[in-house]
Amino acid sequence: MMENAWIIPLFPLLSFLILLLFGKRLKDASAYVGILATLASLVYSLLVLFERFSEPTFKTSTEWLRIGDISLTAGFEVNQLNALMLVIVSLVSFLVHTYSKGYMHGDERFPVFYAYLGLFTFAMLGLVISPNLLQTYIFWELVGVGSFLLIGFYFYKVEAKAAAKKAFIMTRIGDVGLLIGMILLFWETKSFEYSEIFQAVEAGAVSSTMITLTAILIFIGAVGKSGQFPLHTWLPDAMEGPTPVSALIHAATMVAAGVYLVATLFPLFAASETALLTIAIIGAFTAIFAASIGLVQTDIKRVLAYSTVSQLGYMMLALGSAGYVAGVFHLMTHAFFKALLFLAAGSVIHAVHTQNIEEMGGLWKKLKLTAPLFLIGTLAISGVPLFSGFFSKDEILIAAWEGGHPVLFLLALAAAFMTAFYMFRLFFMVFTGEARTPMKNVHESPSMMTIPMIVLGVLAIIAGYVQTPFNHNLGEWLVDGNEALGHGHIEGPIWIMIAATVVSLAGIYLAYLIYYKRSVARNWLSGSGDTLHTILINKYYIDEFYQMSVVAVTKGISYFLRFIDVFLVEGIMKGVAVIVQGLGAAGSKLQSGQTQTYAAVAFIGLALLAVIFVLTGGYL
Amino acid sequence: MSLEELTSYNWGIMTPEFIIVGVAALLTLIDLFMPKKQDRRILGWIAIMAVGAAMVSLAGLLGAAPESILEDTFRLDSFGKAFKFLLLAGGALVLFLAVSYKADEGMEEYRGEFYYLFLTGLLGGMIMTSSGDLITLFIGLELLSISSYILAGIRKHNLQSNESAMKYVINGSIATAITLFGLSYVYGLTGTTNLLAIAGTLQALADAQHAYLLGLAFLMIFVGLAFKLAAAPFHMWAPDVYQGAPTPVTAFLSVVSKTAGFVIVARILISVFAVAATEGPGSIPILYNMQDYIAVVAGATMIIGNVVALKQSNIKRMFAYSSIAHAGYILVAFTTLSSNFFYSVWFYLLAYLFMNLGAFAIIQLVEAKTGSTRIADFAGLYRRSPILAVVMGILLIALAGFPGTAGFIGKLNIFIGAFMVQEPHYVLASVMIATTVVSYFYYFGIMTQMFFRPAADDSKFTKIPVGIVVVLIITVAASILLGVFPDIAIDFVNENFNQFADFLQ
Repeated sequence: MMENAWIIPLFPLLSFLILLLFGKRLKDASAYVGILATLASLVYSLLVLFERFSEPTFKTSTEWLRIGDISLTAGFEVNQLNALMLVIVSLVSFLVHTYSKGYMHGDERFPVFYAYLGLFTFAMLGLVISPNLLQTYIFWELVGVGSFLLIGFYFYKVEAKAAAKKAFIMTRIGDVGLLIGMILLFWETKSFEYSEIFQAVEAGAVSSTMITLTAILIFIGAVGKSGQFPLHTWLPDAMEGPTPVSALIHAATMVAAGVYLVATLFPLFAASETALLTIAIIGAFTAIFAASIGLVQTDIKRVLAYSTVSQLGYMMLALGSAGYVAGVFHLMTHAFFKALLFLAAGSVIHAVHTQNIEEMGGLWKKLKLTAPLFLIGTLAISGVPLFSGFFSKDEILIAAWEGGHPVLFLLALAAAFMTAFYMFRLFFMVFTGEARTPMKNVHESPSMMTIPMIVLGVLAIIAGYVQTPFNHNLGEWLVDGNEALGHGHIEGPIWIMIAATVVSLAGIYLAYLIYYKRSVARNWLSGSGDTLHTILINKYYIDEFYQMSVVAVTKGISYFLRFIDVFLVEGIMKGVAVIVQGLGAAGSKLQSGQTQTYAAVAFIGLALLAVIFVLTGGYL
Repeated sequence: MSLEELTSYNWGIMTPEFIIVGVAALLTLIDLFMPKKQDRRILGWIAIMAVGAAMVSLAGLLGAAPESILEDTFRLDSFGKAFKFLLLAGGALVLFLAVSYKADEGMEEYRGEFYYLFLTGLLGGMIMTSSGDLITLFIGLELLSISSYILAGIRKHNLQSNESAMKYVINGSIATAITLFGLSYVYGLTGTTNLLAIAGTLQALADAQHAYLLGLAFLMIFVGLAFKLAAAPFHMWAPDVYQGAPTPVTAFLSVVSKTAGFVIVARILISVFAVAATEGPGSIPILYNMQDYIAVVAGATMIIGNVVALKQSNIKRMFAYSSIAHAGYILVAFTTLSSNFFYSVWFYLLAYLFMNLGAFAIIQLVEAKTGSTRIADFAGLYRRSPILAVVMGILLIALAGFPGTAGFIGKLNIFIGAFMVQEPHYVLASVMIATTVVSYFYYFGIMTQMFFRPAADDSKFTKIPVGIVVVLIITVAASILLGVFPDIAIDFVNENFNQFADFLQ
């Protein structure tokens, strides 16, 4: 099975091509093409995963291009992480494909939507089986393209257009870091192959400064893709895309690509203390920073978006604290419960046609299926014991504590409190109490949409049991045969688990008091001044800061460059264009249709060559 | 030459040629005895099978050691085999276009010569790839040329077709005359027409005056053959001839005829002028001394081809200029003569064969549908037939040389070749890049028409002839495959042709 794993990304690619060519004719049947393609990928991925349990890593590559003595290869690899990612990506993609059949029903560009989903899934699956940096980078950019197309799917909406552009630009900034890091690594190790890079690093062939530099540059790429501070601002805006897209891209897969990249290159990062510390600090800061913004958002999808940023921060914190297993584990559980939350949010939006939680309320009775599923997702993300998020978050907290970062540990704990609070704030405001605006025709979504949610709901509960304090199956399997990745499980004091539970329950209780019982005023903390609230609602003014600093400076430079461009470059360009056009016109004019002219031109040409030859005496 | 000597030759190495000549003769006879008003398309299918058989027999000869028969006039070396494959593949695809061609204006279905003249032309090209003698080279060239003249004018009631044939004959004759004149110098200086014997004599050439005369001979031969390649400024016949000729013939001229042109240039230049010493044994060969002349022609060809193509409104004229431009890129390889020379020329011609013939298949389809060959006829093709538009799109980006396509790898080989030699050709390489950028404009002009312009009429393309479908599938697959896995071609060449080391043996 594993030797043919390359076929997994090809199913969605095929779906993309079919829909591109025949989408118009297929109309609504397009959905089935996409669903079948991702189902095929899912089945194959599962087979590969099961085989990987008993067999060693499979890797193959062939020489793709040889220029001089440099050889570039292409191939694929199935190691533990890849096999796991294949299943996560194809599963979530399959469920989102199914869900979209109901959610996007009636959209004019329905086949186009499925075509884009196919392209994106292809890119993401291709990314996770790449055995070398160059191939990873190609798919990395392709993932970016897919995300751009999907965020801007409602291109007639100004916000969607702006969001797509923003996402593309912000992630590109990170990609520049990645590209430079990648080239430097190639320079140092003469290879893009992961295995060869790790060997070179292990053998000490690369200086420690260079390791730190390349690791941090590559991490910048991950910062952009995974929405880490300070390049996080695109992610909440990306919520302008259709909700299934948010679930697929901005929760479960693409944003996880940054975390995946760090995990894949973990042996490189592990070789540099500084790089690991940078990752841990950025991760922890992002976790609490995004969580605090999430406290005050009123758009259901934006709350989830900030929670995504915050949870990705957790994963980075884990990896930065040398908790490889914890990071990957949380990546997996998060993919399930966050996809569930987004799909459930989509179901809510589908029912009430608004995203503003201030206008919702009392939906528990009306959405009999969506509401409990949303609750499961909320419990999981809040880290309530026995749900999947509890186990993975616990691993991260232990990793941070044992990794010797008590401050970061406290930040993470505080973020966990906030997460529990704002998630239950969201839950209580949407599903309990009375409807704040009159709602008509609120009804549960079709089964095409609810079934994927149920599947995810089950996973959000049970996915945590692959790695608990009592069994370390996932962890031991993940690090098997690779010592650079650390241990399968880090033993930590029991009080951490208790603290995490207490913090999460406290957050829920506070939310319960404020938004359900209403016994505590909503502004009890910020008081009447509301400064804190204003800061938070404006997302720490990061966008404004960028607007005033980076954007202003860039604009200044760009005005200057534009001046040069208009008067100098464009002048030259116009000149070149005029010359080229003129040459073309002259050439066409010379082409009079007169054979005599043709012969004359030829003879003149020959004569010129001969005359030059004679004049130079045959030697140039 | 006694009978024993004749029978002692290993005639087996000429099997591909025998198949082609035999079937061409057979088709002539069948044509003669077929009822007057019967569809002759069947002859085309037989011709395709003949080309297929010739390819199979050529594949059978792959392992054979280089050998020459008929007193060294016919030699089968790895160069001959490699380029014969190109010619046969191009010939087969052109024949597929020919059997799908809607005959009109004096070229009714019962004109059998339309099919077997392709075979004789192909035979001429094949003879050239395997010639070890100036005379047989010239015979091959003329066989190809004369077949092409007739093919260009085969729509005898069509004014443009007549004009096309007429101009082709006149310009072709001029070219032939110049080439022959140059060859006569070579013969006069060496007293032999055999390439190896010529090389042997010239290696020891000690007289600088002779080298001077050889330089002139070089210029004349190169210019004469530049007509065949449609290199500037000897390209001016091409647009008129391409426009007037029936589309399969245009495709034949732009691919098979051009490949044969490069074959003969390589044969003469490398075996004669690359070994002829300028000042006594061991001195720099004449060819290296004349590099700048080839460079000027290459540069002019790239610039003129690409720039004038911008102004065309007729698709076949535009492709005439585009084919001129591609000849320019290949001439860059002839200028630099890197160690990778044979491979990069071979690969480029291979890629070009597929990209260009695929594009001509679409042109032929659109022409059959609309009755004209204006670029504007491609407007809205995406709405009328998304598949055709996407296929054409792929072929166009391949022609433009985008990464991931065969065209890119072809250009990359030549481009890198320009830097692999001792004195890198920076200027020529920059011209190549700049003109490639210019070429995007006209290739994407067609894309704009296909994808963004409204269609004049919305009628769909129904019943696409099977020949065209075959051509499109092969060409698109090859254009992508060779772009994504260029190693297929590298391995094929390395395994079978040993870096063309036996070229001069």
